[in-house]
Amino acid sequence: MTNVLDVDGLKRSFDDLVAVGGVSFSIEPGEAYGLLGPNGAGKTTTISMVAGLLESDAGSVSVAGKLMTTKSSDAKRAIGLVPQDLAIYPDLTAAENLKFFGSLYGMRGASLNERIMTVLEMVGLSDRADDRSDEYSGGMKRRLNIAVGLLHEPQLLILDEPTVGVDPQSRNAILESVEGLSSRGMSVLYTTHYMEEAERLCDRVGIIDNGLLVAEGTRRSLVDSIGQDDTVHVTATGNLHHVAELLRAVEGVVTAAEAHGVVSVVVDRAAIRLPSILATFTEAGVSVVAVEVSEPNLEAVFLHLTGKALRD
Amino acid sequence: MTAFAIARTALLRLFRDRSNLFFVFVFPIALVLIIGAQFGGGFEPIIGVTGVDGDPLAGDVVDLLDADYGIREFDDSDAAVLAVERGYVSAVMVFPDDLSAEALAGRDPQIGFITQPDSSGQAIRAAAESALNRAIGPTAAAVAVSQSQGVSLEQAELLVEGAASAIADVDVETRTTGDALFADLGQFDLGASSQLVLFVFLTGLVGSAALIQSRQLGVTRRMLSTTASARTVIFGEVLGRWGVAVFQGIYILIVTLVAFRVDWGDPIGALMIVLCFGLVGASAAMLFGAVFKNDQQAGGISVVAALGLAALGGSMVPVEIFSSSMQSIARITPHYWANDAFAELVRRDGSVVDILPHLGVLAAYSIVLLTVAIWRLQKVITR
Repeated sequence: MTNVLDVDGLKRSFDDLVAVGGVSFSIEPGEAYGLLGPNGAGKTTTISMVAGLLESDAGSVSVAGKLMTTKSSDAKRAIGLVPQDLAIYPDLTAAENLKFFGSLYGMRGASLNERIMTVLEMVGLSDRADDRSDEYSGGMKRRLNIAVGLLHEPQLLILDEPTVGVDPQSRNAILESVEGLSSRGMSVLYTTHYMEEAERLCDRVGIIDNGLLVAEGTRRSLVDSIGQDDTVHVTATGNLHHVAELLRAVEGVVTAAEAHGVVSVVVDRAAIRLPSILATFTEAGVSVVAVEVSEPNLEAVFLHLTGKALRD
Repeated sequence: MTAFAIARTALLRLFRDRSNLFFVFVFPIALVLIIGAQFGGGFEPIIGVTGVDGDPLAGDVVDLLDADYGIREFDDSDAAVLAVERGYVSAVMVFPDDLSAEALAGRDPQIGFITQPDSSGQAIRAAAESALNRAIGPTAAAVAVSQSQGVSLEQAELLVEGAASAIADVDVETRTTGDALFADLGQFDLGASSQLVLFVFLTGLVGSAALIQSRQLGVTRRMLSTTASARTVIFGEVLGRWGVAVFQGIYILIVTLVAFRVDWGDPIGALMIVLCFGLVGASAAMLFGAVFKNDQQAGGISVVAALGLAALGGSMVPVEIFSSSMQSIARITPHYWANDAFAELVRRDGSVVDILPHLGVLAAYSIVLLTVAIWRLQKVITR
């Protein structure tokens, strides 16, 4: 099956600054792919080349099998861009904004009007279609921004940090909208510097730093790649020192220690080992009050790979 | 079609802003009305008179002056003199209470004449003296004939009348050398064309702010991510600014034609001027939109530039009354060529053929401005 997006060896410099130094990745149909990296990592420059807004110095972008350049209208028709800026006219209504952008894709008449109502429904703005967008809340504007990207039914939706500067409630609404699109089979390229968003939304994540893709894969494979184990924290009452000794003999347990009424167990893949860990507590006659499993996350992966925190 | 969609949206956004509605529709017409009311049409001096009060000879003098001047009666001479001093009237004639009796008695009646010490005052004095001679002269002559010949006053008047009819009329022919610059212009004609030129360019140029807003909002960048090419986006933006300028120009043409009966000369010619000059304004707006970084900067400089060029190009004061060196400088402005094209149509009864050179100059302005603007704008929006 043809990939929705193939990015191969993409490079772009601005004078002496190398913004993107050779990025390659691909997105399969229906896949949500996240580009995770701090500000200035090269995400937006990469997106600009993928969306045909910027010519690359080297490498190629292919959308649904069509080569993307700044002049390739076929490839551009296959993408819907949701830029970081609120790229809508504040003095027009939502419907007028959508009508304008729809007409840029050659959409007209009843089919355009029908499609406008559909996308407004999708982002939950159908009852505010005739209100000026400068009367919207920040979150509603962001949702309209997404609706514009969806209007012409693109094969790939590109979202460039869509939750920047958004309140938590609106942010959640946006993430739910994107989740809904993914669940309907839309391919998504999502850039963010929020680790939680990439973990929540994306099937695969590419970690980008200094214009280079330093790692790529599913969240699990990325975590596994850095060789860190899960930690199970068990709050219990009883002889916890004894339990810790017993746990060290359990298969997969790397180490176990007790402190302040909590036994911390470092284990390879907690999901598999958790039943035998809890059985050890029962055998030792210790009552378990609470269990918390913490896995290494993408923050840890980024830290491991680049030596700096994601929000540096 | 895509370019038209961009242009349509530019128009929609313009008319959504109520302050724009005022500047596009209300303000130009109001200025045409004010300028026409203040400076348009012929100036008719007003002569104040006192002491008429049913006196037949004084009435005759006033009737003769009334043909060429406005007449305003005052109850007393002090009020009339004050009116001259304050400029309410151009001159005052103070008739004695017994003008007719004095004339019939063969005495020289004393008539006061007060005016400002300027050339128009002297002209009115000459007209007043002429009217006095024409009104009182026959009576004075009849009295003199009656006294010298010993005939009755009625007989003397008949003799004077007969003698007067025997004198051949003197025809005075008046000719104007050179072109009569503003002859036969309606009250609003000059103001309408000059304000059209001023506002079409001003509205077009102020549109540069909207272009910058589109860039700042990220809308232009988003447009480029669609199937619309950079060329189409720029063409659409030009079309939008041009549409606004032409819309306003045609609006001013039609409203002033209907409401003030302004003579625009050849309608096709007038439309051609609006189309060409509107394109100059739109092209200048594109250049400003490409050069300036924020809309406040562009908006402010646009107003200053538009008013400055309008003043220099004869939209505030006709270039014909400029010094020759200033007239030469005025030719560098597109406003001069637009104003002169209208003058060709309205004042010199020209046709489209006569304004072709003007249209050519305006088209050249558009091409140069637009070429530079597109080159600059392509760099700005695609980097």
